[in-house]
Amino acid sequence: MRFAVYAPLVLSVLLSALAGVLARRAEPALAARVLAPAAVLTAAATVWSLVLLAAALLGDVPPLVREARADGRPVTDPVPGAIGFAACLALVVVAVRLRRAVRAERNARSALRRLTAGQPAGTELIVAACEVPRAFAIPGRPGRILVTSAMLRALAPAERRVLLAHERAHLHHRHGLLVTAVTLAAAADPLLGPVRTAVVFLVERWADERAAAAVGDRRATARALARAALSAGRTGTACALQFTDRAVTRRIAALQTGPLPCLWSAALAVLALGALPALLAADATGDLLALLSGMLG
Amino acid sequence: MAGRGSRGRAERRSAGALESEVLAALWATERPLTPAEIQHGIGGGLAYNTVHTILKRLYDKGLVLRDADGRRGAYRPAKNAAELTAEAMHEALDRGPDPIAALQQFVTGLSAEEERALRELLAGDGA
Repeated sequence: MRFAVYAPLVLSVLLSALAGVLARRAEPALAARVLAPAAVLTAAATVWSLVLLAAALLGDVPPLVREARADGRPVTDPVPGAIGFAACLALVVVAVRLRRAVRAERNARSALRRLTAGQPAGTELIVAACEVPRAFAIPGRPGRILVTSAMLRALAPAERRVLLAHERAHLHHRHGLLVTAVTLAAAADPLLGPVRTAVVFLVERWADERAAAAVGDRRATARALARAALSAGRTGTACALQFTDRAVTRRIAALQTGPLPCLWSAALAVLALGALPALLAADATGDLLALLSGMLG
Repeated sequence: MAGRGSRGRAERRSAGALESEVLAALWATERPLTPAEIQHGIGGGLAYNTVHTILKRLYDKGLVLRDADGRRGAYRPAKNAAELTAEAMHEALDRGPDPIAALQQFVTGLSAEEERALRELLAGDGA
């Protein structure tokens, strides 16, 4: 129990380190598909470990200890009280963070629903007459693509096709779900923050690759990204948007080189790393139950 | 801006996707476009009749208008609905922590150095 209960924390850090490598080296669709479930499993195991550490405080409850001593049963306390209390505090923080993340997700979703309300049925593209170049996918049934008129004017015809294909890929492959999953995982386990960053980057790369395939032209795809980024920068909105370090430049560079290898071995390693904390947490659960039942007789 | 719309190996596009492309083409320019101009502009070997059918569908939805005082047969995008959408978008953005920043933006911000590199890329491609 001593090792297993702390392992998910260590594995969260390992997974985060691996996520950065995968984001640069592996085929984006595969990398995102393994990182997201691994992050969710690891976060769940981490939270469960905190629950176990907090529950181990039960072993310190005076009546239990007294009773166990009186019956001559061994009193073993694998978790120092201070750590138990720290785990309780951490659980409160996790609950607050999760609640905030869920609320933010829900707000974003309802704001988007308002945007699509009143649009004619069966149209994919929603245009907003607006001088700020913006484009994003709105998940739903059916999914929609919102693009501002400034963005459409900034792009050449082939580049507009790239933009539409990119957003369509987000909708078709349900990237919104993947991002929501890692966002909640990172809210529950802040050590997984880098995994979230990697997955957010990877779904963009994934959509870029699908757009390049749909248009049949990697260079046009790179140009579309460059032009969209430049026109968004010109209007001074860049600082208002989330700033992913060098993200656009890295996406363009990736399009200028060939497609990346699948790296199945790395993907399997990530999945194993994601499953490990869950197994260890189960192991630690068994230990705690044995400990408590031993004390309770 | 070289309109390299038709690049053989592109995927077959669905009716919905074609509709989006025609609407995007109309929004990309200030002046109304005729079906022939759209056909030429978006490329991909679309038949004139297909463009015409798509325009009619967009017209029925109220997304495009026939240009009344301009050339016969030219279309322009309907601004009213798009202005309402823009208002709704700004409202959503103003509402506390940016809900749309949490979504996938097509592109995000740039540093000065990155901007220079991108300009060089576009210039180098001769586009």
